[in-house]
Amino acid sequence: MSTRINIGPVHPSTHGVLHLAVDIEGDTIKDVEPHIGFLHRGVEKLVETRMYMQSPPYMEKLDYVAPMSYDEAYVAAVEAALGVEVKERAQYVRVIELELQRIASHLFFLGALCNDMGQMFTMFMWVFEDRDRVLDLLQEATGQRMFYVNMRLGGVTMDLPPDFTDNCIAFLDHLDKRITEYEKYLEKNPVFIERTKGVGILSAEDAKALGVTGPTLRASGVPYDVRSAKPYYVYGKLGFNAVKLEKGDNFARYRVRILEMRESSRLVREALSKIPDGDALGAPIRLIGPAAKNRVVTVSRELPRGECMMYMVSDPQRPYRLSIRSPCFINLYALPHMARGQRLADLFSIMGSLDLVMACVDR
Amino acid sequence: MISYSIITTWQGWLSGSSILLYAVAIVLYAIAILILTSVFAYLFGWVERKIIAKIQHRHGPTYVGKYGIFQNLADLVKLLSKEHVTPDNSDPLLLSLGPVLLLAVITFMVLLLPFSPTLQATNLGLGLLLVFVLVAFLPLILFISGFATGNKFADISAQRSVLMLISYEIPLIVVVAAVALLSGSYSISGIVSAQASSHWYLLLMPIGFIVFFIVMLAEMERPPFDLREADSELIAGWLTDYSGPYYALALFIDYTRIFLASLLIALLFLGGWSGPVLPGIAWLLIKAFVIALFAIVVRATTVRMRIDRIMRLGWLWLLPLALINLILVYILFVV
Amino acid sequence: MEIDRKGLLSKLEALKGTGFDYLVKITVVDYGKNMQAVYFVRDIAKNRDETLEVNLDYKDPWLPTAIDIYPAADWYERELMEMFGIEIKGRITKRLLLEKWDGIDPPFRKSFEWNKEYRTQV
Repeated sequence: MSTRINIGPVHPSTHGVLHLAVDIEGDTIKDVEPHIGFLHRGVEKLVETRMYMQSPPYMEKLDYVAPMSYDEAYVAAVEAALGVEVKERAQYVRVIELELQRIASHLFFLGALCNDMGQMFTMFMWVFEDRDRVLDLLQEATGQRMFYVNMRLGGVTMDLPPDFTDNCIAFLDHLDKRITEYEKYLEKNPVFIERTKGVGILSAEDAKALGVTGPTLRASGVPYDVRSAKPYYVYGKLGFNAVKLEKGDNFARYRVRILEMRESSRLVREALSKIPDGDALGAPIRLIGPAAKNRVVTVSRELPRGECMMYMVSDPQRPYRLSIRSPCFINLYALPHMARGQRLADLFSIMGSLDLVMACVDR
Repeated sequence: MISYSIITTWQGWLSGSSILLYAVAIVLYAIAILILTSVFAYLFGWVERKIIAKIQHRHGPTYVGKYGIFQNLADLVKLLSKEHVTPDNSDPLLLSLGPVLLLAVITFMVLLLPFSPTLQATNLGLGLLLVFVLVAFLPLILFISGFATGNKFADISAQRSVLMLISYEIPLIVVVAAVALLSGSYSISGIVSAQASSHWYLLLMPIGFIVFFIVMLAEMERPPFDLREADSELIAGWLTDYSGPYYALALFIDYTRIFLASLLIALLFLGGWSGPVLPGIAWLLIKAFVIALFAIVVRATTVRMRIDRIMRLGWLWLLPLALINLILVYILFVV
Repeated sequence: MEIDRKGLLSKLEALKGTGFDYLVKITVVDYGKNMQAVYFVRDIAKNRDETLEVNLDYKDPWLPTAIDIYPAADWYERELMEMFGIEIKGRITKRLLLEKWDGIDPPFRKSFEWNKEYRTQV
């Protein structure tokens, strides 16, 4: 006999408003049915009514944990449609800022994962201390702390400030130490290990069939990362290596994020040492800009949560149709598959390990 | 068997042992114990907030009173001013009875515990057994009030409390048996005086102490064993549908429970009230507070366990360890 | 490449046989006179991408379900059913994905009227 319990839409650990109808038998999950759409705002339709550069603020609200990555993906699609080249220094600046944003997002993930497994906000507070320093850096570089809107056609709004390199290197040194500390703290904790190892296993075949992306895919032994598969900006020059782990369980998904933070830290250092002099500023926003040259463009970007693909059909001055392939959307689709047969308590740790943002799921 | 120790202590003052005077004395004593429990629980709540804040690099409450010491009082006033909502499909009587019964049982248990040779309600010969029978009673009340709310999360929480009951009672009783074996007494005062004449039982049976500490954390619903009110899974478990004054009471009970647990640990393993200079009750409270601090640090740093893992821990680790402890105690100290 | 919707499933099957084992996205563009469904599939091992474009008649928009070939198609198809009013043939679950609509035109079509008053079910 199975019982149906309704988790959400208002629940402490659904990462937004998500409704899960869970069938349990005893303590074992028989089935999970996600009901989404509580944050659906129809952004894809909305941008059809706006000029190209009016839409980045909407894009940022899609993922409030790593807003700049979505902004950048959209602006990159517009640049591809308009045929705008990004200045070389601006490419470096964007890579530095995006990798810092990724670090901030993965730190958030660590805290949220521990919270979902029932910790009293300790990890959450610790990572927020570090995340705050990332936000300080981004504030220096863009003028904002949360919604940056700092991508312009061909460049960025502000060049890096003069003391940015020193501050950034100081932060990265601090971060590397902190990551080692977190690793020690979590991986030597037997309760954490037994809550994560062997829980929510997703095999490589299932991962590909269900279409999961990003860290979830790489934790299952499929080393697909857009940054290495289709290098954009200067990722090719910086020598980026995609992280890969085999197990596909919660622990692997946590590990992938730790390794990615280290890789991001290395990338930022590399980019800071190689950044050329010159101009990084983009074109100022004009309501009526240059007309689009390419009718249909497809741009893929590796966001902190996975691959985002912007498929844009363009009119001269505004998108005719924008279709966003959201990473959280398809990762959430894999949740029932991973949760079946697990314990009820593990549903939340699996959900935490997917790093969902509901605004990104519903768009 | 029962010696009226309050009466014997205050004999001169009472001048004659009429039953009425005894009743008055015991009621006064009970009120005093209730106040002591409340003060300890209140201070513990404040200290817990402060220490967890320190661990998390925050400040904790600062605004209400000096160092935020009246923050919990303000929270209490807020909760008391709120409406008590009774869900449609709940049993209103059992719903409101749950926290009240819990507080009654806990206070009764504290009342049974001796605070010093002279400060105790009665010196029960089988006091230890009675206390642990009542400890086993706590999950039962949670179970009843969990089902009374008619909420599915509370149901799951109630089921979990039964599962935890069956995996923890046996190691607990085995450790208590070792304590009784070593001291040759079932009376708590007897155990304390046995420790005073030899060593603290923490030193004589460290395995037993560790098992007892873990079991007490589980019994008192402290993290990492707080499965009954697992906030990220079951919203608040059996408390999900509680509101207003009853919720305030339930939160208050959380702190009184830790007072009870740390008192028990201090009495059975840390030599109770024995200590130099200070009066006995001060030593007992200090020891209890140190134990409670341990529980706070554990709470702040570990993630929650899963119910099947807890049962495995109880049956595969704690029960064998408790038995080994019992056998070691028998071989080393009794034979 | 552009193909007919009748040959879609066999084409997807063939692509999967040659290593395109990852479905990236299914989307639809409403061009006013006709609609076009776009399937993005990927061969992860060899890092190849393939795009299939299927033209749909505006009067009778339907697609065969690709869920047996790519399980990931499930939610994308449900989204298309909801947002473009496309009928997906062969599906078992017909439940819409994001919201419960009550007599609303498919909102992502170009014929959708912005200022018309709609009553939504709550």
